[in-house]
Amino acid sequence: MHSVTAIVVAHDGARWLKETLDAVLRQSRPLDRVAGVDNGSRDGSGRLLAEAFGQGSVLSLPRSAGFGEAVHEVVRRLPRAQGQEWLWLLHDDCAPDPHALSALLRAADENPKAAILGPKLRDWLDRRVLLEIGVTVGRSGRRDTGLEPREYDQGQHDGPHGVVDVLSVSTAGMLIRRDVWEELAGLDPVLPLFRDDLDLCWRARIAGHRVLNVTTAVAWHAEAASRRRRRIAVSDDHPRRLDRRNGLFVIIANLPFLALVRSIFRNIAGSLARTVLFLLAKQPANALDELAALGSVLGRPGRLIKARRARKKGRKQGYPAVARLLTPPGATWRRLADMVQRYLAGEGPVDSAGRHHAAGAAEDDGDELLTDSGLFQRITSSPGVLLFLLLAGITVAAAWPLLTGGGLLGGGALVPVTGGASDLWRLYTENHHVAGLGSDTWAPPYVAVIAALSTLFFGNTALAVSVLLLGCVPLAGLSAYVATRRMISYTPARVWLAATYALLPVATGVIATGRVGTALILILIPGYVALATRVVAGSRRAAWGFGLLLAVGAAFDPLVYVMVAILGGLAAVSFGGIRRGVGLSLGIGLGTPIVLLFPWLVEIVREPRRILLESGLADPALADPRVSAEALLMFNPGGPGTPPVWVTGGLVAVALGALLLRRHQTVVAIGWGVTLFGVLLAVVVGRLGEWPGVPLAFAATGLLVATALTAHRIAEFRAAGVMRRLGALLIVVVAFATPLAAAGLWIAGGAGGPLRGDLRDPLPPLAAAFSPRGERTLLMRPEGGRLTYTILPGRAPLIGESDLRSPEADTARVGAAVAGLASGRGGDDVRTLAAYGIQFVTAPGPVEISLQRALDSEPALARMSLSEVGGLWRVVGTVTVPRPPAGGDGWHRTWLWAQAALVALVLLLASPGARTAEQYDDHGDAPEPARTSRRRPRNPEERVPA
Amino acid sequence: MKGLIENRFGLLALVLVVLGALYGVAFVSRPAPVPPKAAQKVKTAVESVSMVCPDPGGGRLSVITPPADQGAGNGGSGAATVEQMKGGKPLATLDKVGALWRRDVPLRTRPVTVAGMGAAAAGLEAAQTTRVTSGALRGLSGVRCVEPGAEAWFIGPGPAAADITLHLANSDEAAADVAVMIYAGEGPVLSDRGNGMVIKPGEYREVKLRDLAPSPLVMAVQVTTSGGRVAAAVRASLGEGRGVDWLPAAAPPSTRVVVPGIPGSAGQRELYVAAPGEQDAVVQVKAVLKDGSYALKNKETVEVPAGSTTTLDLTTGVGGQAGALVLTADQPIVAGMRMTGTGSRQDVAFTAGAAPIDLGSVVADGGPGAKSAKAGGQQSRLVLSAPFGAATVRIRILPQNGAPAAPVEVALPAARSKEIKLKPPAGSGSGFAVHVTPVAGSGPVYGGRVLSEDTPEGVLLTVQPLAQARTWALVPVTAEWPGAVLP
Repeated sequence: MHSVTAIVVAHDGARWLKETLDAVLRQSRPLDRVAGVDNGSRDGSGRLLAEAFGQGSVLSLPRSAGFGEAVHEVVRRLPRAQGQEWLWLLHDDCAPDPHALSALLRAADENPKAAILGPKLRDWLDRRVLLEIGVTVGRSGRRDTGLEPREYDQGQHDGPHGVVDVLSVSTAGMLIRRDVWEELAGLDPVLPLFRDDLDLCWRARIAGHRVLNVTTAVAWHAEAASRRRRRIAVSDDHPRRLDRRNGLFVIIANLPFLALVRSIFRNIAGSLARTVLFLLAKQPANALDELAALGSVLGRPGRLIKARRARKKGRKQGYPAVARLLTPPGATWRRLADMVQRYLAGEGPVDSAGRHHAAGAAEDDGDELLTDSGLFQRITSSPGVLLFLLLAGITVAAAWPLLTGGGLLGGGALVPVTGGASDLWRLYTENHHVAGLGSDTWAPPYVAVIAALSTLFFGNTALAVSVLLLGCVPLAGLSAYVATRRMISYTPARVWLAATYALLPVATGVIATGRVGTALILILIPGYVALATRVVAGSRRAAWGFGLLLAVGAAFDPLVYVMVAILGGLAAVSFGGIRRGVGLSLGIGLGTPIVLLFPWLVEIVREPRRILLESGLADPALADPRVSAEALLMFNPGGPGTPPVWVTGGLVAVALGALLLRRHQTVVAIGWGVTLFGVLLAVVVGRLGEWPGVPLAFAATGLLVATALTAHRIAEFRAAGVMRRLGALLIVVVAFATPLAAAGLWIAGGAGGPLRGDLRDPLPPLAAAFSPRGERTLLMRPEGGRLTYTILPGRAPLIGESDLRSPEADTARVGAAVAGLASGRGGDDVRTLAAYGIQFVTAPGPVEISLQRALDSEPALARMSLSEVGGLWRVVGTVTVPRPPAGGDGWHRTWLWAQAALVALVLLLASPGARTAEQYDDHGDAPEPARTSRRRPRNPEERVPA
Repeated sequence: MKGLIENRFGLLALVLVVLGALYGVAFVSRPAPVPPKAAQKVKTAVESVSMVCPDPGGGRLSVITPPADQGAGNGGSGAATVEQMKGGKPLATLDKVGALWRRDVPLRTRPVTVAGMGAAAAGLEAAQTTRVTSGALRGLSGVRCVEPGAEAWFIGPGPAAADITLHLANSDEAAADVAVMIYAGEGPVLSDRGNGMVIKPGEYREVKLRDLAPSPLVMAVQVTTSGGRVAAAVRASLGEGRGVDWLPAAAPPSTRVVVPGIPGSAGQRELYVAAPGEQDAVVQVKAVLKDGSYALKNKETVEVPAGSTTTLDLTTGVGGQAGALVLTADQPIVAGMRMTGTGSRQDVAFTAGAAPIDLGSVVADGGPGAKSAKAGGQQSRLVLSAPFGAATVRIRILPQNGAPAAPVEVALPAARSKEIKLKPPAGSGSGFAVHVTPVAGSGPVYGGRVLSEDTPEGVLLTVQPLAQARTWALVPVTAEWPGAVLP
């Protein structure tokens, strides 16, 4: 004869309590007694308990009381009853199935040695998802349910007779014999939350009792505390830290001595390793918790010794029974392998299986292309990957001469690419540059971006620049395809958008003129759009990412920032009032670039014309100041590498047609607004004599998005009558004509232009060999009736060195001397040059005869070589390179460190792993998709009902 | 407004209107095409000149810096030094611009370097003239002192026909690695002996070309350096009674060569043409004479096999007429001419292809002084040609003593030549120099100075083609441009 007392402990759980109480009272096997404990709830949980159980059966305890303490209080006051007395422990967020109790008792009858029984726990929200069928623990203190995350219950883990022998069951729904409770002194009050159940069951096992999970009994559990659904009052610590600390504590307290020593070493090593992993995963909070938990357990040996003494009895003898049920040692390696696999699949590197919130592995951004299917299937099934491969093929076909040139890549705005990542980093960080005549100006920030990219490419700058520049078409297509995932659901429209965007006249122009910066901006613009839609929705994380990407774009072309700032201002005016936090998010997005690029931006503002200049060589021949009005309206920036004007006709026609649709008028109007703004800016920039590629890319993006958003109507048209079907076909043909024509013309015309793939190192090898101390070389090239020259610092110039300025006085003196030298007038010119450390004079071949004569007639120059390739003259006598001024620029160093720290901080704030609080919320109380919930401003603390 | 937005065509109309406006703005603001502006080179005064007179011993040495009448020079200080090579003490230091320095130099004088800096450099010119009245070296021979360079061309009789001496001197601070290439009548002479002659700074050397190539009857000589510079000059001595003279430096290979300064005296005229390239050259020959420019009958063209030198006798064509030859070829050629005086014992003179004197020309040895001229001594003439367009030249005589004479302007009709007799002004002392400047707007002018002396045994003759004066240098427009590293 059983007598069951249900003990419901509530703490700020009114949200779930009502259902819990209903479930308790509606058990098919009626309860003999019920008791409620209210641990100082502030949300009326106490009242609910009193209403259900009657005022006399409810106990009120202070807020700081833990679960164990509450049960102890009840048991102490509970009078003895007849028969076998059972305690049924229930949380306020744990609703048992009506037949749960009867199933538990039946199991208890069948297994007389069972002292503790627990139901199978399923998720409160998604009621099919398994949470626990008993819990075990690894020797590292790691909780292990033995389940996959989000595993549905299909009876696959049920025991043969409805019971499973387990190490421990949760206190949620735990049925425990009162005599055993009293024999074991119940839950340890040292563990107010988490792992108290494990400790209790472990002790029960050692004492020779069986712990069973009864799979025929089901309870639904919200895990409100571990998922931070409610504030934990017993401790100020994060539940993750509490869990880890208590886990360690239980292990250390219960293991026999030898196993304990092994476990301690293992735990210290494991914790450190996990800390490093967490840091790598940009989860500093987790790392801190890991270390703090370890520290707080080992740091209080008194408490440990006391706990071990209390558990001394039978510990060693009972251990084999427990060890059987612990996580087997090999599981660690399996988990590690799992982790690496997941990391490669684009998820967080630290798995969540076995944690309380195992069900919360919310899908994150960018995983569409990385679904866990096989590689082949992925390639054949993802239109994005197919599109990327197609565009890459088109690029290879068009850029074949560039790829197979066999020399250095350069031309147009790009100096021949030499040097490695370390050279670029040095250029960016050094105080005094040797380039030109020596310069003290700070290197522009885009040098750091290219240096970082080169580092990613194993220090190979040439490879990084080639991939960025020549791969700009497929990469832009891929980025456009991925970025529109959230915006456009109709896949053919996304494919069309991505292909058209990637093959815009701007893109082919960018490649032909070697504008690396604009190539990167083209790849980034879809990212701007995607992030901007989330920024105007108020997402903080997207705002940081947006700010960082905008800073990268603005470092190459400040005009990007100006355009985005104007559009952002307009967005703030129109969206600011609608959603909370939009203003702040916009502020973050637009303020981050200013902070990250601050000193350089000051320089730009001082010379406003530089706003229009892109990175690289500002060769006026690369832009066409007379670009025709119709070209600008067709997103064709003019200059080398751009197709005929009519190519984009299909795009414009389709976009105009989209204006006739009524349903999406706001979106289309916004898109056309961006387009018209971009074209206006392009007209201004173009007429100022600069290349209007970037504003036109923005303009085309606006149009593409507006048009593609309405494209699903085509599918509707197809379903309608014959006329409409023909119309739809016509629209599709016109729309796809643009990317197809662009690709065809590009392949036919070739990707080259000023850009070539067969350049030589501009510094003759002979000069390089004889410039051990960085002796400079004067390079002269007659060009269009004038003589251009540059000074090489004993090596070829690096990307970004053309933006450095030498002191004006020196430049003027050297300029006069170079003119004099080229005229052949004799005199002191060579001596002047030698004073600046110029040891060699070179002229690329074929050397103009007058220049050759002038140089030959100079007594202070000796000719070293002259051929079709070029001529090289050496200044007679030794030349000493002027020493750079001693003493560093302290302010520069400080700023570089500050900038690095700021970039790291922004990266941290922008990266998905940074704000795990959002993940908890994503599968929170409201059953809405993660996407929409993320858009709302939130503060996790605010959501706990007070 | 509301109606406009709600209407299906409202938005389309609005967008079209804005697009139209943008088109209008872009169309109106389109700039007019800017014709590419040719960068104008700027004239600047030469600031440093050095040259080597290869063998002045026994002759007269003339050095002059013309007066800076048109703003040449900066009016600053500067001096020219004349000194023997290998540490000889300076023969003179000239700091007076515009005054001719002339001195008879004793025999066995080493080569002399003339170097000017600053104001004394602009237009500094030097020449050596030797007059021998008897013996194997009888004749009048003169040469413009040579500016060191990396390449020099000479064309004339070969070592089998004359005693050819190559004078090499290095007045620079870097060693010169000299190679000599000879193009004979049968083709290029392949020999290692002409290669790898290293001339140390301050050294000079005479090379008998017979040692390098004994057999050529005619030849073109190319002197190049693979490092450093060298001042090269060639003297040809045709033997007893046949005359002696220096071969003037010829213009480097080009498809159009003008051979100026053919004197109007009687005597043999023999044209030398070399085609140093890889292909045979067909050369059209035209004479530019007093009465016009025309092809010579039966001598319209010469064919020159690749890598060889050919001669063409033009005595019946241009003999006795002052003028120039214009040679046009399909391959680059080098050309020169041998001229002889009349008489029982002849003297020889050479001229060679030359560049136009766009910026003026100075002849240091314009001729002997008035006294000598009156005594029936040397006569000096200028032969000027304007083969491609009418020109006006200003001729100014710069006497050794006394003020420069007022310039004389001479008009040259297009495709005509003129021979001008130079009269030494009073008080010219032992001689004078000549400064020839084309007036702005003139076509290219070519010319030569002819010195002759009638002796009982025959006419002594020497010719110096006019060379561009080292007064001006053309400074190109320069711009610092990091993109200069790109082709």
